[in-house]
Amino acid sequence: MSHNLITEEKVFQELKKAIVETLRADENSIRPGTSLINDIGAESLDFLDINYRLEQAFGIKMARHFVLEHIEEMFGEGAAIDENGLLTEKAIELLKIRFGDNMPDLKPGMDMDEVPALVTAQSIVQGVMDILDSLPEKCPACGNSAWKSDDGGKVKCGSCGENAVYTNGDDLIKEWLTKVQEEKNIF
Amino acid sequence: MQTLKDKVALVTGSSRGIGKAIARKFAMEGSDIIVNYRKAGGSSQTQAEELCKEIEKMGCRTRMVQADIALKNSVKNLFNEIRENFGRLDYLILNAAKAPFKPIEKLFERELRQLVETNYLGNIFCIQEALPLLEKTRGAIVFISSLGSRFYNPAYPLGSMKAAMESVVRDCAESLRVKQISVNAVCGGIVKTDSFKVLRQFWDGIEALPEELFVEPDEIADAVFFLCSSAGRGINGQTIVVDRGLSNSIYRSTV
Repeated sequence: MSHNLITEEKVFQELKKAIVETLRADENSIRPGTSLINDIGAESLDFLDINYRLEQAFGIKMARHFVLEHIEEMFGEGAAIDENGLLTEKAIELLKIRFGDNMPDLKPGMDMDEVPALVTAQSIVQGVMDILDSLPEKCPACGNSAWKSDDGGKVKCGSCGENAVYTNGDDLIKEWLTKVQEEKNIF
Repeated sequence: MQTLKDKVALVTGSSRGIGKAIARKFAMEGSDIIVNYRKAGGSSQTQAEELCKEIEKMGCRTRMVQADIALKNSVKNLFNEIRENFGRLDYLILNAAKAPFKPIEKLFERELRQLVETNYLGNIFCIQEALPLLEKTRGAIVFISSLGSRFYNPAYPLGSMKAAMESVVRDCAESLRVKQISVNAVCGGIVKTDSFKVLRQFWDGIEALPEELFVEPDEIADAVFFLCSSAGRGINGQTIVVDRGLSNSIYRSTV
């Protein structure tokens, strides 16, 4: 059971704010299905800026590396991307499990450079929610279950005042990969 | 008085950060500017367009050219544009850089190749293409380096390429001396540009460093301008460190 106090709506609002500040985009044009690259012209540096703003808003650490990189780190170079820079069937199978309906355009043999364009506002929101869902039931500092949030963003312990500690995005991806591999033995 | 009037400068990777600051500074001094960016259709292009408008308002000629310096043909196109539209080149400012942020031993083969292709080969391609033009103007080449060339920086494989390029600077300064082309580098400390946004993700607490140690992009641009102006005529083959003294002292006050 998740002990997360932050709503998906709040995360989406903060994401919109981050996109507006980073790319000077029109807030009303940002919808859950908006591709940050295709629809708003984001580049890799912009993603880092947006991630940083979300980290500040929620006191979390976003993943520094995308799932494909983690696959290759775990299962070896070539596991996700072949020598021509194309996604392997196994990589697609895994991305479909992870992103499903959020990335309908995934297909085997697609170029790795096309993948970032599949990142939508919703897939980023999901990434943040996954991290927020890692909030433990009890405060690791004092052992009480008294999480609270005054601004709907950062969470603190209502008992001892310590900031909430979440699992970081990269560790969550690694945990997820290990679990999926155990269940489905893809690689 | 504008000291670079009627001169022409190419600043690679000038849609953002330090490159943009150099383009602005050179335009303020009267130079025409070729604004180069890598990725078409994204935020770099938008920023390059805005920069060009700003430069035109200063009364200088400018042209934005999309080119990935890692690709030799792309570099050839870039220089064709320069020859056709400006007919000359006085300053080649090698600023473009792109690298993954990971410890070197964790880089995949394709990442290693990209690292070398953009940050080493790309700069050499630019130098090779620029030479015939720079020979005519007795121009200058300035490479933008960083302290990562000589000090550890977390998850910063780019540092090894910066070190290689500082060596290229020493080498080319000698071999191009007969052509009266000067070659130098400006080595920046911690500069608050877009790249800093990457660095702060790997360097916990970097923002707690005293504000006075952060270099402004303008300060790098001023040093590049100095090297290209007549005031810097006696300097060749050097890497000038602009870091507000960060690398000068092991002493740090703890109070």
